[in-house]
Amino acid sequence: MSSKKELFKYILSRLALLPIMLWIISSLVFILLRIAPGDPVDAILGNRANELARESLRIKLGLNKPLINQYIEYLNNLIHGNLGISLNTQEPVKVIISKALPASIELAIFAILISSIVGYLIGFLGAIRPGTKIDFFGRILGIGTYAIPPFWAAMLIQIIFAVLLGWFPIGGRLPPGMSSPPSVTGFLLLDSILNKNFEIFFSSFKHLILPSITLGLLLSGIFSRSLRLNLEDILKKDYIEAARSRGINKSRILFKHALPNTLLPILTIMGLTVSSLIGGALLIEITFSWPGIAIGLQEAINQRDYPVVQGIVVIISSLVVMISVAIDIAIAYIDPRVSY
Amino acid sequence: MPKVKDLKNILNILSILILLLQLSCAQNKKRENIIVASAGKVESLDPAQANTLRALQILSALGDTLYKINNVGNLSPSLAKDLPKVSKDGLRIDIPLKENISFHDGSIFNAEAMKFSLDRFMSIGTLNYLLQDKIEDVEVKDEFLLSIKLKKPSSSIKSLLTSVNLTPVSPNSYLNYIDKFNNYNFVGTGPYFLESFNATQQIIKPFNNYWGEKPLNKGIDFVNYNNSTTLFGAIKTKEVDVLISNSIDDMQRVALNNMVNKEKLNSGEGAPIEIGYITFKSNKLPLKNKIIRKALSYTIDRELISQQVSFGTRAPLRSIVPPQLHKKVFSPWPKYKPNFARNFLKKAGYCDANILSIPLTFRSNVPADKLLALTWKDQIKRDLADCMKISLNGVESTTVYKQLSEGAFEAVILDWTAAYPDPEAYLTPLLSCSKIKNNTCLKGEAVFSGSFWGDNELQELLEKSEELEGESRLNALTKVEEIAAKGNPYLPIWLVKPKAWSLKDISKPEFSSNGLIILKNLERN
Repeated sequence: MSSKKELFKYILSRLALLPIMLWIISSLVFILLRIAPGDPVDAILGNRANELARESLRIKLGLNKPLINQYIEYLNNLIHGNLGISLNTQEPVKVIISKALPASIELAIFAILISSIVGYLIGFLGAIRPGTKIDFFGRILGIGTYAIPPFWAAMLIQIIFAVLLGWFPIGGRLPPGMSSPPSVTGFLLLDSILNKNFEIFFSSFKHLILPSITLGLLLSGIFSRSLRLNLEDILKKDYIEAARSRGINKSRILFKHALPNTLLPILTIMGLTVSSLIGGALLIEITFSWPGIAIGLQEAINQRDYPVVQGIVVIISSLVVMISVAIDIAIAYIDPRVSY
Repeated sequence: MPKVKDLKNILNILSILILLLQLSCAQNKKRENIIVASAGKVESLDPAQANTLRALQILSALGDTLYKINNVGNLSPSLAKDLPKVSKDGLRIDIPLKENISFHDGSIFNAEAMKFSLDRFMSIGTLNYLLQDKIEDVEVKDEFLLSIKLKKPSSSIKSLLTSVNLTPVSPNSYLNYIDKFNNYNFVGTGPYFLESFNATQQIIKPFNNYWGEKPLNKGIDFVNYNNSTTLFGAIKTKEVDVLISNSIDDMQRVALNNMVNKEKLNSGEGAPIEIGYITFKSNKLPLKNKIIRKALSYTIDRELISQQVSFGTRAPLRSIVPPQLHKKVFSPWPKYKPNFARNFLKKAGYCDANILSIPLTFRSNVPADKLLALTWKDQIKRDLADCMKISLNGVESTTVYKQLSEGAFEAVILDWTAAYPDPEAYLTPLLSCSKIKNNTCLKGEAVFSGSFWGDNELQELLEKSEELEGESRLNALTKVEEIAAKGNPYLPIWLVKPKAWSLKDISKPEFSSNGLIILKNLERN
């Protein structure tokens, strides 16, 4: 009972840190954006607008107010769940994010799925059969995926499978000319099923394959290496040796005793990877013209669209922080050695 | 053995999956609409807000302008019935409008609607300063007669009326958008109406009640891809029908041109409207020294740069106005002559022991700028290493634009595309200055351009040209450019033609004088 109480306390303390972390992150973004050279007025009007036009736009956008007032207003809006209005399009930031984030999450889910299957399978086989061809391949994959620049890998895959072989579409989420189904969740696959439109389902699935395989393969190396190293290490432990000497079946040792103990570091790595992918994989999104959150953020930065940049960063940070907290809690729950 | 069998099974399943996906592929179907691809999202279809080439391209198909202008600057009526009538004092322009034209929502286009659109643009348009500087008031004289009262005589206002941003919108549909943007909808008078809109794809369909020539196609789908490789791949794999040249890397332009030569694609190009140039900051030494700027004007081998950077697709340019707009061969900037440059640099006290160092800034997100900077640097090293050197500095474009008027760059590579094809639309933004002291511009466009160069005679001529018409106006503007070439605040480099490629079963793309494809002329054979 006391252990449960302590765990509850730990969860509360981690959750209490969440708003503080978000406040720090949002304040940093606010300050850094204002320090950075470039002006949203320039981005909207161009640099040739006269002073009167610039000043009237500055007033209209609220950029004429003292920085501290802008900051207080921004925090006040944030607390009330208002992310503001885009300086460029006058569209609510919430709407902009709700359009782009599902695309990134959809890509992230498939990429994680592919990287987990490929990475863990290769890592597992490498650990149980060290020194074999599959182990050698796993090592090469681990080093290779780290060393290959993502944009280069993406372009290569795109050129081979989309341009030369023509097996998959070149980019985007849907073929040109095909309209998205009415948005329910923002996830195209899900929305097409909900709308019983299987032509869109197959098309969007086909568009998802190349970017998610590229991203998945690039991530599989780290998964494969981490599982292999941890499993290899655990297989050398005394308790495994003891199990073997008791005559316990090899697969039982592997799946019952060894694998669960590799779970903790893998959970951490996976959590961090998911967190980073929710923020979008910029280079993959750019190469495959995937209309995700990373492209949205890049465009907003180029246009110095402060509310959009702030909104995206705050939402992404919240998700990353929440995932990190969830993983910390899961680890604390699973591993009795973790002290809260 | 079982392992090989397993592998075979997996491969079989994968093959079936790929086959299924191939069968589901929509692109194999015969397309009805023509798919046009380009880079860049469309965030707004409001003519008061739209400023990207892609948005203007779509607006040009959804709306009409009062006038059209051809490649050499001649005006012809579009929504207007006749050419504008200018009052004797030059302060009033009367524009008779065509009758029996309706908007996509069925309401009638008349002088009230045109006034509504112009007033709305002057009130909320992001480029409203272009009109506010010139227009005092817009009046409705009759149901189909519009009258524009000017603040001062302006011959360039007529060219400005050809701008896509001034396309009329239906007052009925924009009643709730008088003081705000209507980003996702457009109701105009053009040959197409907007069927659907999102940031990455827009679909337009022919408007049955269009007053003019009807489109030759059944509709256009605009799609966007983020990078040049994807755009190139999209037309190569026939995923799209037409590709617009903006954001296509020079290397891929050459590959596309080769496909045209092998008759795998069609291509069409418009009159050049984009100029590439280097701005020299002329209010501080060393570039304040006129002799050094003159020396620099002889240092650039434009032919070499055009070949090295663009494989000859960007034509060398020795003027800051596209030559066709002067209606004659006119290149006031000097040709590449390194010996002349050396002599001038020696005259300014450089060469041998004293090497002139020029920091050259380029926009790091524009590949052609970087290649130009690198080529010029190496060319100077080859030809004038004893006199000068160039150091490079890459800065992201938004930062460059912000810091340009703050005088942050000694020399910076930029480009300019005018809103309408007229020499004034190139000269005023680069050279105009309202406060000049000792050839230094303290206030005006030349400050925003980063040159800080001004000349009283030039300024007088530029202002006088607004009161002139026809050949005398052109002569005045030619003289303006001659004075600029003597002062050398800019170094013109190249001229870029808008280009588009289409699949063989689509007609050759044609361009209007403002560098936009005439979409209604695209036809599937």
